[in-house]
Amino acid sequence: MKKILLVCSIILATISTTFGQAKKPTIMVVPSDNWCIKNGYFMEFDNQGTKIKIPDYKKALQEDSDVLLVISAINNMMNERGFPLKNLESVLKTLESNAAEDNMMTSKDSGSDIDETPMDKLKQVAKADIIMQITWTVNTTGPKKSVTFILQGLDAYTDKQIAGAQGTGAPSFTAETPVLLQEAVTAHIDNFNASLQAHFEDMFENGREVIVKIQKWSDSEFDLESEVNGDELSYVIEDWIAANTVKNRFSVLDVTENMMTFEQVRMPLYNDKGRALDTRGFARELSKYLADLGVPNKVVVKGLGRATIILGGK
Amino acid sequence: MKNVIKKASLLTSIMLLFAFTSNAQINKKKKANKDTENWRYEIECVGIGKPGTKVIKVWSYSKKATIAINQAKKNAVHGIIFQGYAGGAQGCTNQRPLTNDPALEQQKEEFFEDFFKDNGKYMKFVSTSGDGTPTTMKVGKEYKIGVVVTVMVDLLRKDLEAAGIIKGLSSGF
Repeated sequence: MKKILLVCSIILATISTTFGQAKKPTIMVVPSDNWCIKNGYFMEFDNQGTKIKIPDYKKALQEDSDVLLVISAINNMMNERGFPLKNLESVLKTLESNAAEDNMMTSKDSGSDIDETPMDKLKQVAKADIIMQITWTVNTTGPKKSVTFILQGLDAYTDKQIAGAQGTGAPSFTAETPVLLQEAVTAHIDNFNASLQAHFEDMFENGREVIVKIQKWSDSEFDLESEVNGDELSYVIEDWIAANTVKNRFSVLDVTENMMTFEQVRMPLYNDKGRALDTRGFARELSKYLADLGVPNKVVVKGLGRATIILGGK
Repeated sequence: MKNVIKKASLLTSIMLLFAFTSNAQINKKKKANKDTENWRYEIECVGIGKPGTKVIKVWSYSKKATIAINQAKKNAVHGIIFQGYAGGAQGCTNQRPLTNDPALEQQKEEFFEDFFKDNGKYMKFVSTSGDGTPTTMKVGKEYKIGVVVTVMVDLLRKDLEAAGIIKGLSSGF
């Protein structure tokens, strides 16, 4: 009897651990482009005659104490809610040290260095699944000061704002800007978390919202109008997506013979085996299905929420 | 004999008086609980408190001013869990309730009955703020009493999460 109970409890524990944990999105607090550019923390490039400004986070973190205060206050509060965040400054430092290490690393046997494509380099930027973007303005009316604070939760893949809180604090004659900022974070973080919680609940009920893109190599023998399995390849792929999404929810944004974009794809959080699924796993299933139909392809992934399948080979 | 009768009647009147007052107290409490069970109250934000707390003014209704004051703390905690409040002056922002599920109170009836009983667990998460002087208004035949209280929202949320009543931000991950 004891043995039966032990076996049952082990099975239950296994089931609960495999089914209980969906892939947790990472979140990072970042000052908005608006704030960075207004305060002079940006780099300027000339892109074929058009001047482009890109926020310089490193400079902002090194020279502005207020931004550190706000990031730290938000990180602390989220930590208390049991959801620790990625820290922008640490991520930037890790990226730098990783790049330095990769440059120095050589093989003991052949002396060759680390292989890195331009795409690998491009992907080495500070990123998270959800960006908490902060913007604030100090309003001054005579001797009175107040802070207008905007906190936006942006899905890095779907570009949707999934959470937000904003408002202007009470004007004060005496309080310093850091005090007003701390007060603004305290006032807004609960509302932000409430909308984030609603987003997570929706995700658990209706699946994770991701983007799946289909493209082709220029030398591919297949395009999306090729006949495969008695139908055009674009419809074959669409049927697979329809059959494998939660409540068949997705929409097709664009279709040409060369590319196809699926938006608002609600992929399940777990696969048939009960393992947590991310976009890579989801796209891999489609990739295997296409390969079985004789269409060679390659899967390229961007975080938890975006995958591209390139037709025609690896 | 007369003395005995006198003493007996004195004792009886004292006992009757005691019975009446205690009965009145019980009735008051019953009335108060009835008012609270109907959750007749309004909440307004008074200011930004320390991190993890909310400073609010709870307006409770009752025919007796003292009863409304006693029920203010219970109403405040109930309001934070189920109602939230609108923003306003003093830098106050809209506050959503701790639960999005309007049926939660009915679904977890047993838990909340115990939680909100007199001197129940809710008392751990609320305290009167400032000097605690209530604002009294007469509305028709009853009083509308406003009391400023501080609710320890973070502790309250953690407690409800631990009891499995509401979901935490990282639950499911």
